[in-house]
Amino acid sequence: MRTGFLFAGLAAFSIAALGSGSAQLGPNGTSTTSTGTIAIVGGKLLTITHGTIENGVVILSNGKITAVGPASSTSVPKDAQIFDAKGMTVYPGLFDAETNLGLTEVSADQNSNDLAETSDEIEPHMHVGDAFHAETARVPVQRINGVTNAVVAPASEDSMPGQDAVIQLYGRDRDAMLLKRDVALAMNFEGDVRRRRNFNGPSKFPTTRMGLASQIRQSFLDAQAYETELEEAKKPEHKGPAPKRDLKLEALLPYLKGEKPVVLSAYESYEVEVAMSIAKEFKLKVILNHVVHAQDVLDEIASYHVPVIVGPIYDAPTANERYDAVYSLPAELQKRGVKIALASGRSGASSDSRNLPYAAGYAVAYGLPYDEALKAITLNPAEMLGFGDSLGSLDVGKTANVVVANGDPLDVRTSVKQVFIEGIAVPMVSRQTQLRDQYMPLTEKKKQ
Amino acid sequence: MLSIASAPRGCLKLFVTAAIAVPLGLHAQSSEGTVPADLVIKNATVMTASHGTIEHGSVWVHNGKIAGVGATVDAPASATVVDATGKFVTPGIIDPHSHSALGDDINEATSPVTPSMMMIDAFDNTDKALYQALAGGVTTELLLHGSANMIGGQAVVIKNKFGFSREAMLFPNAPRSIKFASGENPKRVYGSKGEVPSTRMGNFEVMRQAFEDAKAYMASWDAYNAKKAKGDKDATAPKKDLKLEALADVLRGKLYVQIHCYRADEFLTEEAIAKEYGYKIRAFHHALEMYKVGDKIAPTGTAIATFSDWWGYKDEAWDAIPWNAVMSMREGVRVALKSDSNDYIRRLNQEAGKMVHYGGATEEEALQMVTLNAAWIIGVDDRVGSLDTGKDGDLVIWNTDPLSTYARAEKVYIDGDLFFDSALPGFGTTHFHGVMHEAGFGGADDEEGGGQ
Repeated sequence: MRTGFLFAGLAAFSIAALGSGSAQLGPNGTSTTSTGTIAIVGGKLLTITHGTIENGVVILSNGKITAVGPASSTSVPKDAQIFDAKGMTVYPGLFDAETNLGLTEVSADQNSNDLAETSDEIEPHMHVGDAFHAETARVPVQRINGVTNAVVAPASEDSMPGQDAVIQLYGRDRDAMLLKRDVALAMNFEGDVRRRRNFNGPSKFPTTRMGLASQIRQSFLDAQAYETELEEAKKPEHKGPAPKRDLKLEALLPYLKGEKPVVLSAYESYEVEVAMSIAKEFKLKVILNHVVHAQDVLDEIASYHVPVIVGPIYDAPTANERYDAVYSLPAELQKRGVKIALASGRSGASSDSRNLPYAAGYAVAYGLPYDEALKAITLNPAEMLGFGDSLGSLDVGKTANVVVANGDPLDVRTSVKQVFIEGIAVPMVSRQTQLRDQYMPLTEKKKQ
Repeated sequence: MLSIASAPRGCLKLFVTAAIAVPLGLHAQSSEGTVPADLVIKNATVMTASHGTIEHGSVWVHNGKIAGVGATVDAPASATVVDATGKFVTPGIIDPHSHSALGDDINEATSPVTPSMMMIDAFDNTDKALYQALAGGVTTELLLHGSANMIGGQAVVIKNKFGFSREAMLFPNAPRSIKFASGENPKRVYGSKGEVPSTRMGNFEVMRQAFEDAKAYMASWDAYNAKKAKGDKDATAPKKDLKLEALADVLRGKLYVQIHCYRADEFLTEEAIAKEYGYKIRAFHHALEMYKVGDKIAPTGTAIATFSDWWGYKDEAWDAIPWNAVMSMREGVRVALKSDSNDYIRRLNQEAGKMVHYGGATEEEALQMVTLNAAWIIGVDDRVGSLDTGKDGDLVIWNTDPLSTYARAEKVYIDGDLFFDSALPGFGTTHFHGVMHEAGFGGADDEEGGGQ
């Protein structure tokens, strides 16, 4: 490897990236080497917030970015370990706006799935933070391609399947990886959700979109009534016991107060409209999600002035739609002034966050400006979820989540060389690299 | 699934009338009867997939066949010329493992041995998946039975001439292929019904028994034919049995055997059974663990059709690594990438691009995985899969390097005829003007859907 730490003490990381498998892994794939101040020197910096800097320097210290600038005017602290990034591209860690990371391992194995409770449509009191499996083999697979943060969401099986968490894709255990529990409420208004209908046996309410909408409204009304009861009980003149704590209704309160966003999923135009009418009725703070087949209401979506997690752009157009009807959605929304994020999606374990930058690149191929594509997988989702001050760009004071790659991060041909999370050089090892290294001798033997 | 009986089925046949001189840029908009006798694409970066890349090169297609590839070509002055300055030209993308256009009829999952199922009987030529694949540059597909059965049905090979009749979309004289499966799917499907097979032991025993039945059937015909040859007028012919005929054709080497197979141990078992019964395996499909035994499989000549980086969706995909394709190739195995999905089929070029990243394939090696090597698996590599004189005029003009994320197929030609042009309004199709059907199978997993 041409690049890597120039200090011998960290040589293990560059060796690991080469594939010798000799890296010393700590608990849950963490680094065993303590890193002090790191200077990433000579790379092309994609800062996200203040343009591109050729031959730049990024200093990482105590888990934060402490300097970003051109090599000519950015001093490197004497004690810093130098990461030579000449010829490389340096950018903030990617933020995947929706995943199932840690909620499933082998999707065909039910025992490894904690994707959603399905006995009822209204489950806002389910917290993915309670199920997040920090030791999943899937996390290292994603992070060595540059994904450092993600939203973990329950599967879209219910109208309200639970509350999302934001994770950092590095840490020795759950507590170290969960940045914030209950960061948003997952809410779905999708045709697929009407699965309680059973033509051959007893059905359970709701089985139609009318049923779904009315049930969602009733749930928020019940929560409002519950809140009124709680308020009444606080008054000195209140007699009798306080109302029994209701976990389900309590879970809805921060969302009714607009304190946290609801990630509102809808695919079809009319579903988007119905879902937004409910959101307006209860003054919810909305992040729209998917809108895959809502091409004919894009202006209307722009008029809502809410951010949108668009896609996955690989969802197929419906029959008799043009082939690029979904590929071009990010560009069409961005053009209308909508703040967009992209997500690898939660269609099961086969959607990998590591491919998120390629979706962004494909959106560029279909009209999205390059800088906006980068933002859609870094700063925009960070801002949507309340991490705009700490994640998503190369700025002083932000968490030192930085990626170094040998080329354009959005191109499939590019290889990530080193990922830093909270200023720590992450071992570039996953279960997959370990298998690769174990069998690589067969390939080498053939070459001789 | 939509069922619009009265919908136009896009079955307008191609009539090559007099060679009408078509102004450049307009010929795409007229649909039938305008295939130029001579087509030249010039000033392109020509990626041949067989003999390197030619900068500022030209490709000449004469009467549907490639007549010249190089820095210059000897096309007549009357040729229709497409200036592709700044663009890239490749052979049409070939998918050696698709279930598009088969509706919900992927698996006849009522018996683990169904070799007489003919996928052509389920082929719906107006499936939107064909269109979406065409717009991704796919010109040839092997449409396979699913993986519910140890011995599934017989495949159909199509050229993606979207808008043509079912008949006109068939790849002329393509070899016959049959789909086998192994591993989790057959044992799950039949095990869940309390039937055999419910284990890998059962899987392989079901297969051996099928071939024993076929051998007995062949022997009965041999005996009959021998009697007849001797003039025995009382000899009675055995009953024709579609299932046993198909199995006999496997043993006679008349069918290419395409096996859905994931695990290293199963590649070895499959090869041992093939050797025992005397047939050849054309390719292992999925083959996610080939990197573990590539050196042992390489001498058999069996190829693989694998995913670029799909993994972990079930136990037998747990050891999948994205370096599999390139490592297997370095171990001596012929490697193709395939979609097995109505999604991935739309950007197989991008999946090939990942191989530059995962293992350091050269651009030509990566391109071959979705062209020439895929053509070999289907058995049509003498006619398609590379830009060589004499091969079919199946080619794609891309806006940029097709192995980059930013590549879009701009024009897709099959047999020298333009079938897709992204610059056209509407669908961008030149021959399709009907109503598309919605695929019953979303292709969102490895055949676990679709009537398993």
